[in-house]
Amino acid sequence: MTAVTSARFPIERHTLDNGLRVVLQPDSSLPLVAVNLWYHVGSKNEVPGRTGLAHLFEHMLFQGSQYVGKNDHFRLVQQVGGVANGSTWFDRTNYYETLPAHCLSLGLWLESDRMGFFLPALDAEKLENQREVVMNERRQGVDNQPYGQAFERLNETLFPSGHPYRWPVIGYMDDIAAADLEDVEVFFRTFYTPDNAVLTLAGHFDPDQALKLVESYFGSIPRGGARPEVVASLPDEPLGQVVTLDDDVQLPRVYTAFRLPSFGEPEWYSADLLSAALSGGKTSPLYSQLVYERQIAQDVNAFVLPTELVSSFVVVTTGRPDTELAEVEEVVRDAIATVATGDLGRGDLDRARNKLITSYSDQLQALDDRADLLSMFTSYFDEPQRLESEIDRYLDKTPEDLATVARNRLTPDKAVSIRVVPR
Amino acid sequence: MDNVTEDMRSKPPIPAQVIPFSFPSFEHFHLASGLEVYLASIDRGPLVSLHLACPAGAWHDSPKVAGRATLAAELLDEGTYDLTAMEIAARIDSLGGFLSSQADWNASWLSISLLSKHLEPGLDLLAQIVTGAAFPDAEVARLRQQRLANLQRRAAQPSSLAADALAGALYPGTAYGQPAMGTRDAVKALGRSELVDFYRQQFTPRGSVLILAGDLDLTAANRAIERGLGGWSGGQPLAAGSIQSRAQEETRVIIVDRPEAAQTALRIGHASIPRTHPEYVPLQVLNSLLGGKFTSRINLSLREELGITYGASSSFSPRLGPGPFQVAADVETDGVGIGTREIIRQLHRLQDESVDEVELQDTKTYLLGVFPYSLQRIDGLASRLADLGIASLPDDYFDQQLAVVRSLRPEAIQMLAKQHLHPTRLAVVAVGPADKLQPQLEGFGRISIVPPSEVLQAGLGPD
Repeated sequence: MTAVTSARFPIERHTLDNGLRVVLQPDSSLPLVAVNLWYHVGSKNEVPGRTGLAHLFEHMLFQGSQYVGKNDHFRLVQQVGGVANGSTWFDRTNYYETLPAHCLSLGLWLESDRMGFFLPALDAEKLENQREVVMNERRQGVDNQPYGQAFERLNETLFPSGHPYRWPVIGYMDDIAAADLEDVEVFFRTFYTPDNAVLTLAGHFDPDQALKLVESYFGSIPRGGARPEVVASLPDEPLGQVVTLDDDVQLPRVYTAFRLPSFGEPEWYSADLLSAALSGGKTSPLYSQLVYERQIAQDVNAFVLPTELVSSFVVVTTGRPDTELAEVEEVVRDAIATVATGDLGRGDLDRARNKLITSYSDQLQALDDRADLLSMFTSYFDEPQRLESEIDRYLDKTPEDLATVARNRLTPDKAVSIRVVPR
Repeated sequence: MDNVTEDMRSKPPIPAQVIPFSFPSFEHFHLASGLEVYLASIDRGPLVSLHLACPAGAWHDSPKVAGRATLAAELLDEGTYDLTAMEIAARIDSLGGFLSSQADWNASWLSISLLSKHLEPGLDLLAQIVTGAAFPDAEVARLRQQRLANLQRRAAQPSSLAADALAGALYPGTAYGQPAMGTRDAVKALGRSELVDFYRQQFTPRGSVLILAGDLDLTAANRAIERGLGGWSGGQPLAAGSIQSRAQEETRVIIVDRPEAAQTALRIGHASIPRTHPEYVPLQVLNSLLGGKFTSRINLSLREELGITYGASSSFSPRLGPGPFQVAADVETDGVGIGTREIIRQLHRLQDESVDEVELQDTKTYLLGVFPYSLQRIDGLASRLADLGIASLPDDYFDQQLAVVRSLRPEAIQMLAKQHLHPTRLAVVAVGPADKLQPQLEGFGRISIVPPSEVLQAGLGPD
């Protein structure tokens, strides 16, 4: 075990014999405990033809396990006054409960039952039901939403055939329909093992007692076998593509994206700060020019995705009804070019950094958010203490660091754009 | 401890000793000007959250000026007599803070969150904005155009179309009958003078509530409030106009035709009680059991049994006027008939059968247990305090109401259902392909089919 003494948040990190990593962050300000479990598996571990399996699997893990009946996961959590959910992303799947602190063992019991004893409860009827639910989730979030398919087109354009970030996390409709029990079973055996997981507890508990409880519930679950390597070759090819998508929308919108180094690389933080400098706050170059001065946009947002294999820098701008998207793209290009020449002002940089510091403090308030961050830093970097030091990675960035990213990564020949226009 | 035995593995563990919880302490007082103040010092990191709510909600807008409150609120931080829009933005940005200015149905909100070391300049800026908003012509014109484009955007958004059709059906001719964002015609006609008049009348300390929560030194906070807002004065704000829902003898069906839609947005509801109604909290218990949580009757039935939706929920609104009760689900189009029948059946069932003791107990412990969860963040605490201030509720309201929740019996739930649910006088709104929806919705009530461009008028036809 390593104990990290920190200014605000005491953190303990342990590893059980079966490889399960356990992070404890005691905080008694409220009578609550957040139980947060990350499995290091996401849509990137799928294969073409079975896209969406990681997410469908997440749904199945709420359908009961050996001693937990269908619907009992939510019932048992809610009946003691807790909340529960899960989510799937390109690189990981998380499951979490926030419970009254005296019900900590309930959370551990539920999570260990489905980590250790899921398969006996799996059946075709449950799979059929959740396939329907997920297909409706896709309709609600993608197919029946204005701009709903833009992100899919964006990643299909940004990443080459076979690259695991090319397909959407929720999966394609035909693939969701095709998933069968064997797919679910193999996925579980391969990825849902203690040595591929991080369990974080944050809240009102005694760390020694909590660790004993964790050991008693999870200690006997066997470690898994080898996991297939994710193949993700990414040739350094010229992009510079523009795709136009006719959709049932009223306002035109353009999504522009560039590839970036992985989350965790120094350049990633420069890019993240750059995105905040470009579009965070009304005085930022993109907002002030597009929305305020030229009035050719309703809104603009630049952001960087925290993904593992490769990351992306995305700018999304919604136009006014009569906006020519090419004009918007030109403003975005010019704003990035200004950064590339080193002309981003100190003021813009400081503003972006100060806002990031405030946002990060804001994100650390809630136990469940904090637990999720601890699981993330442990899953990706094996460094839970990044919870407090992560913000330091932005502090010494200079305009020249941002210029370097802009010059190397954000040039027009490396951009892909999806223009969504009214039918 | 050793590994759990098979016996321990097979049953949910017995909970440990409950850790007691009480609502965080706070100060509550009025300034001489009439401004009501709530201060809560609570340790959630080096942050403070400031909110000023003024009696200028969208419910103050008659249909003729629909959108006035929300537009006025958005314009507050677009210029004062001393600062331009960009100067205001530069101030908040230089503090690393976040400023928002917007209206909901009940009130207009000016909110700032920032590091606690910047409390004083943050509060000064908030005070400067609320007392000196200038509504510059150019900004009025710019935001009006932006609003018109946003209204246009709603026309392709199934959830907006459904909300507007339901509002139009339940509250024709009143403030609640149009979107809070307004209508195209009303927004086009809104001039600077109407916005300024509204601002002068409604943004006044009397009837306004200031909430400061977070890492606060109470003495410094009081000093900053006195310095920034001590001199703020004004008259009596106007009360909102009366809001009557449409008298309705039977269920009506409104189909908003989107022939190509991949799914149908289904909303079923009727007008209900205001936030200030004494049975508001008991009705939250009823609602939680019916459709307010994942394990509610409606969600389990539509999602986990029928598999026709990603999620179904119900709600009573916290509006100061008689807002809607509604059930909402985005449903696969072929399942809309079955889904509608099932939702209506569940409303009847609450009236016809007493709820199970265990189901009620589970619902009560759920609501009691998640209450502290809502106080994890300073904004959560601030919104609880805002709720007290805006609805004029007593300081011990939450403790009081948590006790009410504990004492509710199954008979009371059935009584509430009989009194407050109207399963034979509903508005059923379905946004999707009319040719597939109409056959499924025959028999529920008279059907009107409207194009998306006429959702607001859907409620105006005869019964």
